[in-house]
Amino acid sequence: MKPFKPEEVIVEQGSEQSPIWHNLRHALADVPFRVVESGSLLSVRAASTNDGFGDAKRRLYLTKHKGDFFKKCPGSEGQVCCNYFVINFASNCPMDCSYCYLQEYLSGNAELKVFSNVGDLIDEADRTLSKHRNVFFRIGTGEITDSLALEPYTGMVGELIPYFAEQPNVLLELKTKSDCVDSLLRFDPKGRIVVAWSMNPQKVIDRDEHFTASLKERLGAARRCQEAGYRLGFHFDPMIEYPGWETDYQAMIEEIFLTIDWRRLAWVSMGVLRDTPGLKRAMRERFPQTQLLTGEQVLCPDGKLRYFQPLRVTMYRKMVQWMRGVAPTVKIYLCMETREVWEQVFGYAPFCEKELGNQMAPSL
Amino acid sequence: MDWLEEIALRDRVQIHEILGRKVVGEITTDPRLGRADKLKRVKEQVRRWRFPRLAETEDAIRVKIQALKLHPGVRVSVPAGLEGGRLQIEISAASHRELKQLMTRLSEALEKTEVKEIFALLSGASSEQDRN
Repeated sequence: MKPFKPEEVIVEQGSEQSPIWHNLRHALADVPFRVVESGSLLSVRAASTNDGFGDAKRRLYLTKHKGDFFKKCPGSEGQVCCNYFVINFASNCPMDCSYCYLQEYLSGNAELKVFSNVGDLIDEADRTLSKHRNVFFRIGTGEITDSLALEPYTGMVGELIPYFAEQPNVLLELKTKSDCVDSLLRFDPKGRIVVAWSMNPQKVIDRDEHFTASLKERLGAARRCQEAGYRLGFHFDPMIEYPGWETDYQAMIEEIFLTIDWRRLAWVSMGVLRDTPGLKRAMRERFPQTQLLTGEQVLCPDGKLRYFQPLRVTMYRKMVQWMRGVAPTVKIYLCMETREVWEQVFGYAPFCEKELGNQMAPSL
Repeated sequence: MDWLEEIALRDRVQIHEILGRKVVGEITTDPRLGRADKLKRVKEQVRRWRFPRLAETEDAIRVKIQALKLHPGVRVSVPAGLEGGRLQIEISAASHRELKQLMTRLSEALEKTEVKEIFALLSGASSEQDRN
């Protein structure tokens, strides 16, 4: 994987001397740093080409986050929810997947940002976790960024692991498409940290997951993390349907489950390609040749486009069949799907989000 | 227009080639059709090209519903895009007696294999078996 390197780091006044700032200065010694006044961060924008969203990824902004870090995952109306929480320590991502929903979600706020006030993040998380010790929290850090793609420079996750590894009622999930795991290997995750990869066949990665690690690189990183004591997760999301997809996905599953110890997997999720009419417009503009625009997607009641139901149920069933063939008892769940789809795929649907969320809790 | 662009991208053809296909010509030159009907039929044809497997599944379901030979007072349909996997049944009756008769006939129709086959199509099962 070719590591991302920003052209410049823009630092908002007040963020200097933070641990993240020190890590950035150390790792990016040859990159220009510029300090700007508080509140004027976004006045320094990259010179615009026709691709404003892509331009925004060329620089890295270091700023304080002023809202809540810790939130419930928004999910999608009418879909079975898994009771997931999210912590956003950065915004946007240096990678550039054709289907990325951030192209729409962050279209007016696309600057690649890392938040310097990691102490506030930990304090906020601690207030919630210690107040609700009898509640199990599954927390992810990859909702609006890649959890590890910037780690070689920011060391952000290295600031978080020591805290979260000590919390008895948490599993912290670091979801990534990178292979940037070197700095994680020195920590003891104490069974509380899950490193998870979004996975797709190499053909999909080549076509539509730009600047991400290859399948082999992701698997190599996964094995290293598992050997270092981390739990692993895999997210087959988005699953892409195309001629020959069955051959490619089945081969990928076999390769994955031969590489890692599946009995120590925390979870596996599946979700087909999802977009919105707005995201499709963005994709059409930025990636006009992507075949992702040509799938047989229909508009679902939650406003998202997905492959029509019989097609995606067929895809899910095949994936489950292939996974059960190599990992009979691995926990598999669906992301952003209705009860009807759950019942068609698994023969049952979780009664509520807490039931599904609790199924992910580690047995202690 | 999006559909035409997406067909062109998928099939690596030009839009004018799609609109120049024989079936489009037959619709646009059919003297029995008014302008609105022509537009509607061309749009439907483009939709079938854009969503071939969805159209095939919808057709298969339609054939099976027809095979139930239901009374006109009973209408069976599936949702747009087949989303939800549910069969919708609408009964229209003008009297208690008519309602009872329709329910009896519906109940008899439900015993036909076509009903199970419709649910299988809605849940993707039959499409798998057909391909295998």
